[in-house]
Amino acid sequence: MSDDHHGHGPTFDYQPALPISNGKTFMWLFLSTEIMFFAGLIGTYIVLRFGAISWPSTHDVHLAEIWGAINTFVLICSSVTVVLAFEAAKKDQSSTAKGWMLLTLLLGCVFLGIKMFEYNAKFSHGIYPMKPHSQIFEKPDVYYAQAVRVRLTAMKTEIENKKERTDTDKDRLAILDGILRQVDDAEVTLRDNPDSPEGRIKIGKLADAIYPRASVHEHHPGGHVSTNTESPFRLVATVSDGTGDAYELGEGDDHPVGLNDQHYWLKLPIMIPGGNMWASTYFLLTGFHALHVVVGLIAFGLALTMTLNRASAGTIENIGLYWHFVDLVWIFLFPLLYLF
Amino acid sequence: MSHNDQQTQHAHHGEHEHEHHGGNGIYIAVFLALCVLTSFSFLTYFDFWRSNVPTEVSRAFMMAVSCTKAMLVIMFFMHLKWEANWKWVLTVPASIMSALLIFALIPDVGLRMRFASFDRLRFTAERPAQTQKIEDDVDLPLEMQKEGYEIKPTT
Repeated sequence: MSDDHHGHGPTFDYQPALPISNGKTFMWLFLSTEIMFFAGLIGTYIVLRFGAISWPSTHDVHLAEIWGAINTFVLICSSVTVVLAFEAAKKDQSSTAKGWMLLTLLLGCVFLGIKMFEYNAKFSHGIYPMKPHSQIFEKPDVYYAQAVRVRLTAMKTEIENKKERTDTDKDRLAILDGILRQVDDAEVTLRDNPDSPEGRIKIGKLADAIYPRASVHEHHPGGHVSTNTESPFRLVATVSDGTGDAYELGEGDDHPVGLNDQHYWLKLPIMIPGGNMWASTYFLLTGFHALHVVVGLIAFGLALTMTLNRASAGTIENIGLYWHFVDLVWIFLFPLLYLF
Repeated sequence: MSHNDQQTQHAHHGEHEHEHHGGNGIYIAVFLALCVLTSFSFLTYFDFWRSNVPTEVSRAFMMAVSCTKAMLVIMFFMHLKWEANWKWVLTVPASIMSALLIFALIPDVGLRMRFASFDRLRFTAERPAQTQKIEDDVDLPLEMQKEGYEIKPTT
């Protein structure tokens, strides 16, 4: 049968498979599915982000561009080191290859460390992807005012039930009462004159005092809030809240200081228009990317237990392909999440 | 048996080709190019860029920079520049599938990007009121106006 075919017409080389090793074929097939996975995620993000009626600016949600840029740099470096490890292994220089591999592993850990630091800046401000941890409200309405009241009264009751009140407790009680008066004022205004926007504006001002958004205040540098503009690198600022004890304040990049920052124990609900959708997409995209980084780190750890000579060059190449893909995804995530 | 021999022969051939190309000099050059490109897209963060370049232009610019970086990584770090024609067999179908996934979002783009239903506007955050004319007789603080607080009284 095949002889017949050889008889006439052009002859073709019969290829039983792709002219590459099975491992590399598998890795490329796997990467094809990964391309589709992230294409779907990023495409959905673009639709949700640009279809959203409101979307927080990066500084509203404690996202500092410089850290994204640094992470991009770290991943690019690690891409170079893994490719250098592959080259060294091909030349049978196993100790050099191991050194580059170790450096790649460390750079991957640095990336994850910065990512955790960034996540912590969000978590410490009540920005979570979902309830019950999420403190994000979408607009300054009665539901927001009610949530603030619930939190305030819970803290107030806790202090009032104490047998002996310290000076700190008294200070806190005074602060709680002060904010409660504002909530009362806003709610009474809204109840007495529901058709007027006055009450809603009062709730809006309350939300602004609790969690001032950078996008609102950057046009008003002389406003009632102070703005930290010392360094774009700063994720953590130390501020004294008057009671003498300094505490950590998440990310101070252009971030105006609100009640939640002045009094770290308050943890009042915050108002960020579009904040919930932002949190969902941000944590989903960066979370899936971070999972891929973790898998890559495990692969590097396993590779470090091997002798990285010419025989294992294929394995290193496959791990490298995967790692370059992880880098590739971040190349698109960085501008989309931080700079758009 | 002969098939296997052929396959390994090809594989060896491929490996030999690698050694001819690549090389640490090229990797360092690509690394530097990637760093420069990253700093290009980071330029858009600074005020002088933001005040001089329209948002749409800088977004397109950032995406162009990202695509260039992606191509550099794929061609040189992932060695696709030097691979045989099998690379098309694996990458083209995946690219077509990803493009289809993106095209599947077009109805959403059409329905959501420039249009919002009444219910969406009603239950959304306060931003849509920005487009409404703010009545002159209402004394609204400037930052509230900028944020477009809803002030239209229900009649």
